[in-house]
This record gives sequence, structure tokens and C-alpha cells, in this order.
Amino acid sequence: MGKLVLEGISKRFGAVEVLKTVDLDVADGEFIVIVGPSGCGKSTLLRIIAGLSDQSTGKVLIGGRDVSSQPPSKRGIAMVFQSYALYPHLTVEGNLTLGLKQARTAASLIAERVAEAVRILALEPFLKRRPGELSGGQRQRVAIGRAIVRHPEVFLFDEPLSNLDAALRNQVRAEIADLHRRLGATMVYVTHDQVEAMTLADRIIVMNGGIVQQIGTPSELYRRPANAFVATFIGSPGMNMVPGTAGGGVLTLAGSGRLPCSAAANGAVTAGIRPNGFEVLPGGNDGLAGTVIASEYLGAESFLRVRLADGTVVTVHEHPDHGWLIDQPVTLRLRPGNLHLFDAESGLRIAEGPDAAAQPAAARVA
Amino acid sequence: MTQGIARRFQISTLAAHLVLIGFTLLALAPTLLVIMNSFKPRKEIFGAPLALPSFETITLIGYDTVLKRGDILHYFQNSLIVTVCALFFIILFGAMAAFALSEYRFPGNRLIGLFLVMGIMVPIRLGTVGILKLMVSLGLANTLFALILVYTAQGLPMAVFVMSEFMRQVSDDLKNAARVDGLSEYTILFRLVLPVVRPAIATIAVFTMVPIWNDLWFPLVLAPGESTRTMTLGAQSFIGQFITDWNAVLAALTLAIVPMLILYLMFSRQLIRGITAGAVK
Amino acid sequence: MATSAQRKPIRWHIGVLLAPAILIYTVIMLLPVFDSLRMSLYGKGPDGAPMFVGLANYTTLLTDSYWQGPFWNALWNNVVFFIIHMLVQNPIGILLAALLSLGKLPGREFYRTALFLPTMLSFVIVGFVWKLILSPAWGVSKTLLGSVGLGSWFAPWLGQPDTALITLALISVWQFIGLPMMLIYAAMIAIPDELMEAASCDGVTGINQFFKIKLPLIWPSIGVVSILTFVGNFNAFDLIYVSQGALAGPNFSTDILGTLLYRTFFGNQLQSGDPFMGATIAGAMFLIILCGVCVYLYGVQRRLAYYQM
Ligand SMILES: Nc1ncnc2c1ncn2[C@@H]1O[C@H](COP(=O)(O)OP(=O)(O)O)[C@@H](O)[C@H]1O
Ligand SMILES: [Mg+2]
Repeated sequence: MGKLVLEGISKRFGAVEVLKTVDLDVADGEFIVIVGPSGCGKSTLLRIIAGLSDQSTGKVLIGGRDVSSQPPSKRGIAMVFQSYALYPHLTVEGNLTLGLKQARTAASLIAERVAEAVRILALEPFLKRRPGELSGGQRQRVAIGRAIVRHPEVFLFDEPLSNLDAALRNQVRAEIADLHRRLGATMVYVTHDQVEAMTLADRIIVMNGGIVQQIGTPSELYRRPANAFVATFIGSPGMNMVPGTAGGGVLTLAGSGRLPCSAAANGAVTAGIRPNGFEVLPGGNDGLAGTVIASEYLGAESFLRVRLADGTVVTVHEHPDHGWLIDQPVTLRLRPGNLHLFDAESGLRIAEGPDAAAQPAAARVA
Repeated sequence: MTQGIARRFQISTLAAHLVLIGFTLLALAPTLLVIMNSFKPRKEIFGAPLALPSFETITLIGYDTVLKRGDILHYFQNSLIVTVCALFFIILFGAMAAFALSEYRFPGNRLIGLFLVMGIMVPIRLGTVGILKLMVSLGLANTLFALILVYTAQGLPMAVFVMSEFMRQVSDDLKNAARVDGLSEYTILFRLVLPVVRPAIATIAVFTMVPIWNDLWFPLVLAPGESTRTMTLGAQSFIGQFITDWNAVLAALTLAIVPMLILYLMFSRQLIRGITAGAVK
Repeated sequence: MATSAQRKPIRWHIGVLLAPAILIYTVIMLLPVFDSLRMSLYGKGPDGAPMFVGLANYTTLLTDSYWQGPFWNALWNNVVFFIIHMLVQNPIGILLAALLSLGKLPGREFYRTALFLPTMLSFVIVGFVWKLILSPAWGVSKTLLGSVGLGSWFAPWLGQPDTALITLALISVWQFIGLPMMLIYAAMIAIPDELMEAASCDGVTGINQFFKIKLPLIWPSIGVVSILTFVGNFNAFDLIYVSQGALAGPNFSTDILGTLLYRTFFGNQLQSGDPFMGATIAGAMFLIILCGVCVYLYGVQRRLAYYQM
């Protein structure tokens, strides 16, 4: 039904290739989030799924049907745009019904669909108003309502929260998650914000420079990022990337610390450690030596900025009342199972040995 | 697979081009026809009006007649003086008034604004009788200055309206920073605000320049004398004299068209941008 | 003492900034217009001096057998002139604007420049050029029509009483088509792309998209174009004066209020000038334009919401 398949989709504008062979299989009812920095080709991909622009190569299948040469309205999709794109001259009701009327849907069915959308999104008080008389959050709800009444097989969202203020963003995000649960529809959601991606998605597609970097569930991406880009993009604050060298199962970091590591690693590597992967000890202990250079207090937690021996600055998660002082020498000890290794050149993840995650790595610094 | 969308697109584009080319031909052909035929001998003007002038028979006889008799350059100069001066005063006085109205709160502000802007809807031609009496009593009849005054008055309401709209959008911080630096209000207007509202000035220039340059009514009424004739009036009376000499008529028309054509081609970009208020790139 | 020190100084610069504009506008424009309107209430007294006659001039204009005919004729012609503009200029202007705003049409800058060119030409040039082209003596039009097999259609349109006015109106449309085109074009490209994409997701495409989405959004621009056309048409004079002369021939079939005003005030071969009746005609034109503007402001513009996009 709501299955979406992309086969070898690519897109070039003249000589510029903005999408490089994207293959994707979305199960019925799945919530897929496409995330990546601005300009990486997310909207282009979404617009190809919608039929708003042509792919250069490849096929789009929706519900098992090849819709590659169908116009948007025949693809069984509905799209919610970043700028809402509501028809300014029509009332909310007119906005909801235009597409159905265009398709010559029976009046009784239109009324039923509108009633359903109105109930789900609590649009009743606004039906007779025009978009100009609504707030940003209300407009976004109408835009979603316009998608709901079409009963599409696939919902497409292009950065639907970008034009909302922070408080409203959280609220509408929760509403979208709720909507997905209630409708059980397939949804493809584009955003540049990894928090949105993590909180909403069943599976996330991370893109960069027109290339799919990794596809997986939020926890897969968090636990086992496929490359350095995904590692730094997912999670907040971002993963610390520390240059080092590996050989014979030993990793030398930041000119000082020496850790055991996967035997597969050899030569120049980048070690990725999340802020909560460190334990902070007083200076002189076994581990990475460094100096506290700043502390950010957030109430429930705080983050330390620590400069390591080779000048690399890392962010470390701490208790809000940690008591460390600026310029104080500290030692960072790695918590077990928190080391990600990437090839220094290709950025690709280096497979851990069978024992790497299990070993109490920080405990045995040479 | 993707050809479906692409082909539909191409067919509609092709149709659009065909229609546009048709209208473009319609817009250009009359002018081109006149220019083309002005270089042909009489026999060819009638025998083959649609043909390009050929090298063997190309002739300037029409231009010869016209330049010997008329004073086209002088008319052109008059038109230029009137248009440029009127435009200058419209923008200068319009900007001053618009700045006063948009920048300061004072009693009667809105009333004066309404009073000035009301003139957009009042056609000045209906005051011709009164204007002529006034100019005669001021001793300005048959002078270019009379025309400049009239066109300035005619253009001011629109200029005040457009510029005060634009000036309201100029950041207060900019002006206040200048005040802190001790700049006078006049300096703020001319050095800071005017450069910022350049798009408004372009719009006004376009909307006022064309009607002034092309006007026949006021030159006919206020300054019909030979020495103050504008291009438009000059061409009108001038072509009348030669009405049976086709070479001369076509040459005179060409001489009247070409300066405008050159100016237009030079400034068409800015001009179109002015009309669409900057919406066109 | 403190109060005097604290009182705001008089802001002379406000007066200095406002004075030139107000002075010129009032003296050169407003007072003469009112003077003209006032003059329409006067007539020549028995001693030759002006004498207040109330609305007598207007009664004369509307009922006197000498004035009535020409006035109604000119008014009717003016209405026809305006209607032809509205019927021809607006649809063509919208069509051209719609075509120009089609995606990234290559060459649109050229089309824009070319289509706007006639607007830059003066009435004198336009009038004469078309007079030559339509002249049976030259025969260009006949040749052109003949080349597409319509040679028999040709007639001296400007010389026949029943076609001259329509021909002139079409020439005027030809000249000014650039303005409505550009104003509507500007309104069209201000419509965000995403809105049109939303429409195509809703299945509203092609001609439907134009009528259901674009047209409602450009009504305000069409309203502005219409009122500008109205004021322009009821002030028109130049084109007709240039191509048909002050007598607006043949047989006054192209006489509009502007030419009637000119003839009445300045006189011509047939009559000597009459400033009082001239002012009366100007007054009538003023009232007509005022009515038009009021209808637009209160009847039309209020209903045409400017939508926030
Ligand atoms: N019509 C176009 N012509 C040329 N380049 C385009 C066009 N549309 C998008 N691009 C380019 O394609 C890339 C991807 O754009 P987009 O998909 O909009 O990125 P985003 O991930 O921010 O949504 C960008 O580098 C953009 O410059
Ligand atoms: Mg985007």
C-alpha cells in the first residue's frame, strides 16, 4: 500500500550532480527522516518523489506502482512545504477542499474527509478564516490538514518546522509524531535538524553532498555511525574527533594517552568519543591529560571544554556541580565501549574487533 | 520514463515562444518598417515597402530635406532640458517633503500627507485654463520654465507617495547613529537616506519621465513658439509640413524615434526593474 | 527658567523641507484646477466682464442643442475608447505576463524589452507611424494582409467614421500594452514557487492553475491597471489630435472629451474659443474621473484583498 521504493535515483543540474544514485526501500507505515546539512540535496530528493522535478536516472515506485512519469497529483502523495504554501485567497476550508474538488470527489466524501482533518488537527475555529489571519503554528496545521484530506499513500514533509519559533517547534513536532501514530501512514520527512530526525524517525537517512551516508534507526546511527560525517552530525553536542595513530592493538591519542583498540586499526586514525564517553579525574591520573578551558552550565548538566596535550579541544559531559576550575589540569578517562575509530583519510568506520566493546579500555592504559 | 514530464514542458514552452514572438513582431514591426523605408528611394517605398533597403539604392534624400529645413536638434535639446530639470525638481522636492512627512511627528503631518498625495488622482490637464492664465500673468508664457514648473507639480504627488513609503523602511538606527555623530537633518537626508531609497527614485524617474517627454498638451498650450518647441511638438508640426514628401516624413519620424530608442535600450533594464519595483532580476 | 531651557526648539527644517513641494503643488496644480472649476460657474456678462452664472454652463452643456450633441458624442466615444482598452488590453496583458512568467523561459528579457518599447514612443510618433501604415496610399497593410490571403479585408480604417475610433483605441492599446503587462508580470513573479507546487500536488495544473490560483492573486494588479487606464483614457487627447486633428474626424467620429475641451477652449476653424464653456467641460471631466476613482476606491479596491503571501 504505502510502500515507497527508490531505485537508482540520481539528479544533475547541467554539469552538477546534486544526487548520486539513491536506493531506498520504505515499508508501509514507516516514518523516514532525511537529514543532512543545507544544500545536500534533501529537498531535491523529496521533490523527485513528489514528481515536482524529474530525476536524471532511476525509478520511483509508490505502492508497488511505477510512478516515475506520473504528475504529482496522480502519485498518491501529499506534501507539506516549509513556507506552508497555503492558497492566500482561499479560506482554510477552501484550502482543504481545493484538491478534492479538482479530482471531482463526491461532496459527501469531501465533507467526511474535512471533518476528519478538522477533528485530528482541531481546526474547527479557523475554517472560515484565510491564511493571512492565522498564526504560524495554525498555518502549519492547515498545511498538514491539506495533506491529510487527500488520504495519500505517502506523506512528504519538507522542513515543516523551520519557520516556527523554538517553543512552537517542539509542540508541532509532537503533533506530527502523534499524527503518524494515529494515521499509521508512510511519511518521508526532510530536515536539517538532527534532533527532529532522532525524535521522529523510525529510520533516518543521513545525506551529505548528494550522497547517502547511512540509513538506519536512530540508535543504530548513534551507536554505530558508518563514517566520521554521520558521527559528528548525529548527537548533540557533537562527537569529539581526536587524531591518533593505531598499531598492534594500541591507540595513541593526542600525543599522550595510549589505549587498547581493535587490531584492525593501523596507521593514522580518528578516534570519536561522545561527550558522555569520558570520565573526568584530577590531573596526574592514567588517561588523557588536559586542562579545563571553559565550563557551560545548563542547569541539569554541564559541559566542560578541555584542551588536550596536542591542543585538540574536546567537550565533556559532567554533573552540573562538578567543581572543576578553569585552568585546572584534569585527566580524561574513556568509559568502556565508547570509542569509535575512523580511518583518518576516508573517514570510514573501522570495524571493532570482537572484544573491543567489551574490554574495559580505559582501565589499562599503558 | 522521465520523458513524459519533459515533453509536456517542451510543448508548452514552444507555444509560449510562438505567441510571444508574434506579439514582439507586432510591437517592433511598425517602428522597423518606418526606419527601414526612410533609407529607400520613393519608388521602392511604394513598390517594395517590406524589403530591406538595398546597397545600390540606399538614399539619404529624406534626411537631407529634413535637416535643411527643421531644427530637430534644437527641439531635442528643449525636450531634454525640460525633462531633466523637471525630473530633478520632482526628486529633490519630493524627497524633501517625503522625508519631512515620514521622519518627523508634528501636528498636521497626516493631513499634509493626504493633501499632497490627493494630487495623484487629480488630472492636472483639467487646470489648463487656470495654468495658462497664471503663466501669462507671471510672464512665463512660451518659456521652458513654465513647462518645467507644470511637470514638477504634476509629478510631485506620486513622488512624495512612493518615497515616503520607502523612507519609512529605512532603519531608525542608521539615522540615530548619524544624529549622535552630529550630522544635520539635511545631511542625513541627502547623504544617508537618499542613497538607500535609490530603487524608489528609479521607479519615480520612470513613471514621470515618459509622460513628460511624450507630452503634447502642455507644449501646445504653454510653449508653442518656435524657440521653445519640444521634440514631440516639433515633430508633430514638422511632419505636418512634409506630409506629401514620404522620404522626408519617414526620415523625420526616424530622427524622432532613434534618440528615444537608444536611450531606451541603454536603460531598459533599470526601467523595467523600476516599474516592477525591483521584483525583476 | 528651567521650562524655557527645556522647551523643544522650533524645528525649522520641517518647514524648509516641506515648503517647495507644497508651494509648487498648490500654486501650479491645485489652484489652477480649482480656478478652472470656479470659472465654469461664470459666463460673459453683458458688459463683457465675467459674471457669476451658477450651474447655467452645465445646464447649457447638457441641454443646449449646440453643446448637447458634441458633448454626448464625445462622452460616448470616450466610453467606447475605455471599454475597448479594458477588453483588449487586460486580457492580452495578462496573457503576455503569464507567458513571461512561465518557469525560466529563455529570452524573456528580450521579449520584455521589445514588448515595452512602444510605450516609450511619443503619441506623435505612434500616431504618424500607424497613420502611414494604415494609409491606402502606401499600401503596406494591404500588402501584408494580402500575403496571408486577407487582402480583401483591408479598408482605410482611420478614414471611415464607423471604424476610426476602434482603430485608434487599438493603436493606443498597442502602444501601452507594456504597462499592464509589466505590472501584472511583477504580481505574478511575486507568487512563491512553493504555492504553485502545492497546487500541482493538489492536481491543479495548467489552465486550471491559472484561473484558480494565479488569477485571484493578481486581481489587485488588474484593478490598479484598470483605474490607471480609466484616468488615462478620460484624459486622452494626444493620439487623436495627432492622427485625426483637432476636429477629431472623420465627422467627429473620434471626438473624445480631451479633444472637445481643446477645441472649445482654444477655438478652431469652426468656432472661436470660449474659456467658460472650456472650463465647464473640464469640470465635467473632473467629475467623471472623480466618480471613476470613487467607484474604484470604495467599490472595487475594498473587495480586492491584497493577500499576504
Ligand atoms: N534548479 C536548480 N538548478 C541548479 N541547482 C540547483 C537547483 N535546485 C537545487 N540546486 C542545487 O542542488 C543542491 C541541493 O539543493 P536542495 O535539494 O534544495 O538542498 P537541501 O538539502 O538544502 O534541501 C544545492 O547545491 C542547490 O544549489
Ligand atoms: Mg531544502
